[in-house]
Amino acid sequence: MTSTKKRDRFITLPVLGQIALFGGRPLVGILLGLAAGAGLIALSGVNPLVAYWAMLKGAIGSPQSIANVLVRASPLLLTGVGVAIGIKAGLWNVGEEGYMYMGAIGAGAVGIMPLPLPPLVHITLAILAGAAVAGAWGLLPAYLRAYRGVNEVVTTIMMNYVAQFFTSWMVHDPQPMAEPGAFFPMSRILAPSARLPILMPGTSLHPGFIIGIAACVLFYLAVRFTPFGFRTRMLGTNPEAARYAGVNVRRQTLLVLVIGALMGGVAGACEVMGLKMRVYQDFVSGVGFEGVAVALLAAGNPLGVVITTLFFSIVKTGGAAMSVSTGVGGPMTVVIEALCVIFTIAVGYSERKRLVRADKTKEDEEAPQRVG
Amino acid sequence: MSADQIISWLAATLQWGGPLILVSVGEVFAERSGVIDVGIEGIMLCGALSGVAISFYTGNVLIASLGTMILGLVLGMAFAYLTVTRRTNQVVTGLMFNLAALGGTNLVFSLLSATRSHRVATFPDLFPASFGNVPIIGPVLFQLPVITWIALVLPFLASWVLYHTDWGLNVRAVGDNPKAAATAGLSVIALKYQAVILSGVFAALGGCALTLGRVGYFASGGMTAGRGFVVLAAVVVGGWDPLRIALACLVFGAADAAQLRMQTTGSHIPYQFLQMFPYVLTLAALAGLVGRKRPPKTWGAPYDPKKLS
Repeated sequence: MTSTKKRDRFITLPVLGQIALFGGRPLVGILLGLAAGAGLIALSGVNPLVAYWAMLKGAIGSPQSIANVLVRASPLLLTGVGVAIGIKAGLWNVGEEGYMYMGAIGAGAVGIMPLPLPPLVHITLAILAGAAVAGAWGLLPAYLRAYRGVNEVVTTIMMNYVAQFFTSWMVHDPQPMAEPGAFFPMSRILAPSARLPILMPGTSLHPGFIIGIAACVLFYLAVRFTPFGFRTRMLGTNPEAARYAGVNVRRQTLLVLVIGALMGGVAGACEVMGLKMRVYQDFVSGVGFEGVAVALLAAGNPLGVVITTLFFSIVKTGGAAMSVSTGVGGPMTVVIEALCVIFTIAVGYSERKRLVRADKTKEDEEAPQRVG
Repeated sequence: MSADQIISWLAATLQWGGPLILVSVGEVFAERSGVIDVGIEGIMLCGALSGVAISFYTGNVLIASLGTMILGLVLGMAFAYLTVTRRTNQVVTGLMFNLAALGGTNLVFSLLSATRSHRVATFPDLFPASFGNVPIIGPVLFQLPVITWIALVLPFLASWVLYHTDWGLNVRAVGDNPKAAATAGLSVIALKYQAVILSGVFAALGGCALTLGRVGYFASGGMTAGRGFVVLAAVVVGGWDPLRIALACLVFGAADAAQLRMQTTGSHIPYQFLQMFPYVLTLAALAGLVGRKRPPKTWGAPYDPKKLS
């Protein structure tokens, strides 16, 4: 029992314990990923330290680059928190890519209408429309998972592609949303009143990241301190126990998955209204999957999503600068990101196994244990 | 549509369906053992690049396909290590594999600038060119590269292995009831490894068939374009049965071929709806609207030998 007691005391340390528990595994994973990335950079004939320094300088070296980091962070924060809340409930909501497309469609449809509205109202309406369309889109996999028991990961992946092709159709010429005679399939441009304001002149910094951070904090508090959060965590740790405790497991599953869809919708809306000003064909191109990676690195902790998103955005923004100044290929950043996540999930299990083994030696043989 | 167009469409169906079938032949074993190998998209992409690269440097298609299959073996082993030994979430691991493969192939391809402007050696046709003059079936069947013929025959072999050999029975047992399989003395872990590695090998070969089947070059930026996911769709729609999956792959290949034609010629049916078709059909199949086949019982679930329940 001593080891469990020690662990309990460790956890009750308010800040340190949390950081160690939630930050330890991802930190090791990220370091291993960066080390492996350094090896690859060295293989391509560049000093990894020079490359990483260029990356860091390119990301946080100037106010403009910091603005770029925050612009990149905006969709990752929103999709990341949407996936994270699913992870807390033991659900893998990997449909963020599709939710972003649908959110963009909803926001775009409202945004291109030249409504005689003040910007604040028009922007709010457009974001709500984006969230609503994406939420409705997410209702299908959520219903199938909650009431028909259909594996949500496969359905959401399939729906990503459906959403991508649907968006492509919507922005092709004969459709009402599309820009007639465009050289590349895109929607009409947003009405000026539907564009998010630029926070820093000379950059494209829009308030999307503020919405994202607010969502992360909100969901952190909701998961920690509300009955909704308690039910969510219960669903994630032991759905059977949740059922016996009287939680409406189906409704909770539906709710959690639809919340993920709503967040993805807001992400898509902000991307269009703050950065692109139009809905382009295939404009998401993997950001939704990076949202999954971000949430995974954060182990489903909404506050952790803020940190891992910053890391990802720094790697991506700095990666472009690194590629220009050192000649390391631009795709290297994607490889580094993926390696960090792969190492994190690989490291994650072994650590839990150690904990379980420690429990097992001290505790009763029949003690219920849960791995994986 | 004229007869010529139909013939060229049928030929393209086999050409696009072939790589899908190759990938599905491996994937069906992995899924039957309970592991959804979502990494096949990424492994396919790696196979597509390595096939072109090896073919460029050696000029030998056989060496290129063997080398690519070895690469697939290594990647499949890595996927098996993560999902079977480490018990990570299969779909998330697969997605990260795909992300890494997308970045990795772009990176390697930018280093191999020499292969860019060249068409490399491709698979030869199985039948002599004169067979192509046979009316109707000539252009459809007899102008196919060897690899497509292999793809057309393999599902029958896979079906036989899955249903009529001990190993196939063991794989199915592991996917449906790992506890019972372990009690019966089978090594669940080893069988899952074998099945997942097989999916890696065939995914790489399928990628190689995509580039070396006809076109002979690699295009940067994800040239598999979601075909790995189409295979995942076909496995579900085909009800985890190799022959039905092959049929689904051919149907999806036909949709793909038609879609590509409609993009260039213009048509009143939006081509995006044909692109959506495999995924929509999969959703319908999963929702129980189409077909009644149940997935393997531990589909997508990790296996923990020490877990009691």
